[in-house]
Amino acid sequence: MNAGSPFALPTLAPTPQREPLPAVDLAFVDESINRCGRKPDATIPLLQALQDHYGYLPREALERICRQTEITPAAISGVASFYDMFRHEPVGKHIVRVCRGTACHVTGADRVEEALRRYLGIAPGHDTDPGGQYTIEQVACLGCCTLAPVVRVGDHTFGYTASEKVPGIMDDFHKAHANGGEERSTEELLPAGTGKAQIRIGLGSCCIAKGSDDIFHTLQDAVKETGADVEIKRVGCVGMCHRTPMIEIAEPGKAPSFYAGLAPEAARELVLERFRWVGWRHRLSRVWTRALNFALEEAEHEPAEQSRMDTRAPEVSAFLGRQVHIATEQFGEVDPLNLDEYVNHGGFASLARCLETHDGEGHTLHRFRQGQPAGETSADRSPLTPPQVIDIIDRAGLRGRGGAGFPTAAKWRLARQQTSPEKYVICNGDEGDPGAFMDRMLLESFPYRLIEGLAIAAVAVGAHEGIFYIRHEYPLAVKRIRAALKICQQRGMLGDRLLGTDYPLRLTIKEGAGAFVCGEETALIASIEGERGMPRLRPPFPAQEGLWGKPTIINNVETLAMIPWILRHGADAFAAYGTRTSKGTKVFALAGNVRRGGLIEIPMGTTLREIVEEIGGGVQPGRRFKAVQVGGPSGGCVPARLADTPVDFESLREVGAIMGSGGLVVLDDSACMVDIARYFLQFTQNQSCGKCTFCRVGTRRMLDILDRLCTGRGQKNDLSELERLAAQVGAGSLCGLGKTAPNPVITTLRYFRDEYEAHLKGRCPAGKCTALIQYFVTDHCTGCTLCAQHCPVDAIPVTPYVRHVIDINKCTRCNTCYQVCPHDAIEVK
Amino acid sequence: MSADQTNVDTFTIQIDGQPVAVQAGQTVLGAARQLGLDIPTLCYLEKCGPLNSCLVCLVKINGRLVPSCGTQVQPGMAVESETSEVHEARRTALELLFSDHVGDCLSPCNRLCPLGLNIPLMLRQIQAGHHAEASATLRGTLPLGGVLGRLCHHPCEQGCRRGHWDDPAGIRNLERFVSDWDSGRISPEATVPGETRTPGEGRDAASRPAPAPINPLCKPATGKSVMIIGAGPSGLAAAYYLTRQGHRVTVAHRQARAGGSLRAVPEADLPAAVLDAEIALLAKLGVTFQAGVTLGDEVTVEALSREADAVLLAVGKLDPQQAARLGVPVAGGLVRSDPNTCKTPLGKVFATGAATREVRQLVRAMGEGRAAAECVHRFLTSQAVRRPEKVFSSVMGRLDPGELRQFLASASAGHGVSPCDRCAGLSRPEAVAEASRCLHCDCRSSGNCVLQHYAQAYGADANRFRAERKGFEQFPQPSGVIFEPGKCILCGICVKLTEIAREPLGLTFIGRGFDVRVAAPLDRTIQDGLQKVAEECVRHCPTGALVFADDGNLASQST
Repeated sequence: MNAGSPFALPTLAPTPQREPLPAVDLAFVDESINRCGRKPDATIPLLQALQDHYGYLPREALERICRQTEITPAAISGVASFYDMFRHEPVGKHIVRVCRGTACHVTGADRVEEALRRYLGIAPGHDTDPGGQYTIEQVACLGCCTLAPVVRVGDHTFGYTASEKVPGIMDDFHKAHANGGEERSTEELLPAGTGKAQIRIGLGSCCIAKGSDDIFHTLQDAVKETGADVEIKRVGCVGMCHRTPMIEIAEPGKAPSFYAGLAPEAARELVLERFRWVGWRHRLSRVWTRALNFALEEAEHEPAEQSRMDTRAPEVSAFLGRQVHIATEQFGEVDPLNLDEYVNHGGFASLARCLETHDGEGHTLHRFRQGQPAGETSADRSPLTPPQVIDIIDRAGLRGRGGAGFPTAAKWRLARQQTSPEKYVICNGDEGDPGAFMDRMLLESFPYRLIEGLAIAAVAVGAHEGIFYIRHEYPLAVKRIRAALKICQQRGMLGDRLLGTDYPLRLTIKEGAGAFVCGEETALIASIEGERGMPRLRPPFPAQEGLWGKPTIINNVETLAMIPWILRHGADAFAAYGTRTSKGTKVFALAGNVRRGGLIEIPMGTTLREIVEEIGGGVQPGRRFKAVQVGGPSGGCVPARLADTPVDFESLREVGAIMGSGGLVVLDDSACMVDIARYFLQFTQNQSCGKCTFCRVGTRRMLDILDRLCTGRGQKNDLSELERLAAQVGAGSLCGLGKTAPNPVITTLRYFRDEYEAHLKGRCPAGKCTALIQYFVTDHCTGCTLCAQHCPVDAIPVTPYVRHVIDINKCTRCNTCYQVCPHDAIEVK
Repeated sequence: MSADQTNVDTFTIQIDGQPVAVQAGQTVLGAARQLGLDIPTLCYLEKCGPLNSCLVCLVKINGRLVPSCGTQVQPGMAVESETSEVHEARRTALELLFSDHVGDCLSPCNRLCPLGLNIPLMLRQIQAGHHAEASATLRGTLPLGGVLGRLCHHPCEQGCRRGHWDDPAGIRNLERFVSDWDSGRISPEATVPGETRTPGEGRDAASRPAPAPINPLCKPATGKSVMIIGAGPSGLAAAYYLTRQGHRVTVAHRQARAGGSLRAVPEADLPAAVLDAEIALLAKLGVTFQAGVTLGDEVTVEALSREADAVLLAVGKLDPQQAARLGVPVAGGLVRSDPNTCKTPLGKVFATGAATREVRQLVRAMGEGRAAAECVHRFLTSQAVRRPEKVFSSVMGRLDPGELRQFLASASAGHGVSPCDRCAGLSRPEAVAEASRCLHCDCRSSGNCVLQHYAQAYGADANRFRAERKGFEQFPQPSGVIFEPGKCILCGICVKLTEIAREPLGLTFIGRGFDVRVAAPLDRTIQDGLQKVAEECVRHCPTGALVFADDGNLASQST
């Protein structure tokens, strides 16, 4: 086809613009076209490039693309308006992203957003302040659920936010921004370990959000300063998000020691105190510093010893004790980007076995066969043919971890049977469930393991092309996979000669553009092909007709992360864990109203109660454990009385939930179940692709009813209509999104009908639905005026030493007074 | 049972227990249509392939509801189609679509007319000077058009949306105009301003072949006969509708001249000549009149019912002695009849009009005659006897001023002709001017709309889901296409057709989820997007989202 577009734009009278925008420099467009290509599948990468460059999609730029490429105007407009990340008007200088994930929702994200809007002066119905400084944006989930509620301003992530903390957050941002904004990277390649002492620090996204990057750099500086003989080691997620930033000091021959919740200064202090200074000049300066500190009594930093964490302490052993690490093998120990370390731990050995039958340069292949984890002596190294690989996965009983639990081997076998010479394998990293961040963690922490898993899948089904599809909200995951792919390519392990054999395998990355529905296989394929992410009817299944009409298997990140382990340890070792129908382990993101949130991997069959109460330490003192939301927007709420339900695909389905991708959001008695149902429905409704009637309109009509209930406008037959419609939307929708969207409604209606009935009568028992509640000051008030000072709408007159009174007409129910009152004198009714 | 009995390419599947031979690759929808099942579809057009968006074609296979248009037959497949569960799912899909459907199928005037006259269509025809077509529209729906055009209390005008702005369209006067025009009572002198007219030349609308009252077509003869007693408004109306259904109708009346109570109307309000002409039209249609027949001594209901296949009593208001002599059960001075079926206790005897209930207005009496005619017709054709169903209509309700202004944009300004009860009728220019005041707030697709059709067939409740209505929007294109996004069900047919035709711009889906809409890309207009296939897109639009402004002007849609 000619380079010129067959869809030359007709010359038409220009449509009048609302207001003249500054002329757009189109050179960047041409440059991007040269980089991304001219075929339709370049649509999304091109738009992403424009979005990053211009901050929005200027129409001239879109028209330019249509003229210069094969992409049609209809396609580009359709795609640009489908995905959340694309904006069509210029935005403010800084983007303020408010996470609306489940954990953030139950911890008050809506109040934080309201406070931010008020503080930044962004009027309702607008998203940018009049000065054009800030644009506020809701994000489905930033994947930092254990820090909920989370706000990201520019590149800075703030956790544990609250409405009254908003001014502080913005101050912090200004300060950080004023400091020049040159950010130190945490991603440069670090030299491999030398077996000396290590200080390990987890550098996943949420660790970084809690300041681990500062500590990392402080530690690096301290070592540089002192010349101490210790390696500062970046590791992946440490799982204990509730204790981060956390470091581990590992010295040969000594038990590791952990420090949690460290401040940078304390971390520095730790290096200074604990490790020998090298060189006389360093030692001298150390003495001098100590003397000076002593003299000035300036050493007010929190002594690091206070942060020391005893791994034998009950709360730590409860969190870690039940866990089994398969997908998260070596968690907290290895540098995500260190290939040698991965290989030394047995990495790529499984893939090497699968490639035994292929001709290779003995050297490369041999090297990977050597890899063997320390302490394992019996690892099988016999060659494996693709059918044997599939048989092992079959016997292991591995089921897809993406939600539905489809047997992985069956999918592979179907794809293997297809005669097409072209096949594809895709790693589905479009983890869109609000309240789930397992896949992000795995991508960030174990990029090589996923490369190996995807490569094994490719060899097993006979594919030579593989794609990592990762949502763009996970920049660090993209960065690490990209870096890992590059390193593999540089070492000649990928590309024309996989591990040096004659098996070609090309792996690339496609970034999502913000659409939950793209987690659905057929929508994901549409998205890679450069179209609107709209699912299509199955069959035919992607394993038969997938990407570009070719057989394609799509496996979830976690599924692929388990593959190398299974081949290394055998099917039986994997199947030894779990229940009759659900084998192995499952990674969960534990968040919400729970004391110890984090990332856990536990054997299937563990009960929800064990997870919530033992691992998670239960709800906050004074609160009552009410329910667990399992499976995100497609899942359901399991009430506390059914908490002994074991985690496996079938048991969860029986109680109305689904395994989903593994978000576990714990709800205490402060959660309103009608509000939770409404929250999830709002999410799915917002994320529906809009193709089929049941999902597009049906979920909206369900939401209408829930909106009425939450605002006290419920009508008598609303509950029966909601039930009826929920069943019909579930039965009639085209794809999994619509079919499962009613689950949160159905389960809450089933287990918490009394709350629905209370809402019908205009009462919200949990005191959450703002239209149904009022704030009062009780006799406990001492007249300290704190509430009055913080009230953003001046609904509380300042009356020192006299009991305060809230003007109900002015009150916006932002909950600030409740949060700031030191005497628990605010009552919600 | 079927997989092993045939070769790979053809096999048998079961739909609702009925076997149907199919070929591999065929859709379940195709198989069902082979069996003559009317599975509803909105988004399916063979050329476009399965779009799977509307989901009203659901069937149940293996316990799951799947769209039949996108599901291929498999050997051994057992499909459930016409079951209450599947029908409920289809109905819900339709009801969901209506909950987000902005627009009236029928204009308020049409809905309020007891006889269901398509008023906006008739007004478009008048406005365009297509008076013969206007006459066909009028005569195809209304018996005694000339009478109604003078005497009707015009409930239509009370509902007219133009009336929310200034004056309602003068619908009754326009009815009179059409009937006067086709009966040659309008002087041909007056011309419409701006119209160049050469007398006697057949170049423009005004000088087409000499007007003549147009009698609508009747269905083929059924061989059934109906005796109607009484030639008042109800009886005459029933005679009209039954004759059009193909039945042989005789109207027996007491007086020398047919017309019943209409004969008592003063000459100034209804000239006898007009009434005579209208009755002559009925005779021309095929109605036989028998004068001087009085029920009672000589002629009994019993005797009549031996002669005819059905008898309809439309004798008007009864006086006590008359009631006693009728020979049918009477209660409280009224003939006893079931209001739902118009049946009297006597076998094939029906009753209607003022004999059965108090009827105040002329058009209502005629509406009763129409209802009775439907009952009798269903009785004669062995169907369940009931009054006619209301034509399904989505109802938009009151317009806000902004919406009203959109409608006004396409209508001529100015107040209506002063409503005059005794005036001499409208001249041609006056009629055209008055007709051009119509807002055309009906849906030009009504009657051809697939969504409306299946809503009626499935008994869908357009108001099952109470929801905030989206604003009405109308985008008339210079090409004559009108785009009304509120009526779009996002089936995707037009998007696909533009893609297939490689339109330079084409149409596309914009946005996601509930807010998806169809539009031209890059903020261009619908017209820009439809340079090649506008006609095809309008033709295949399953609703009234894409229509031609002048649709229906040239040929009457009424039957």
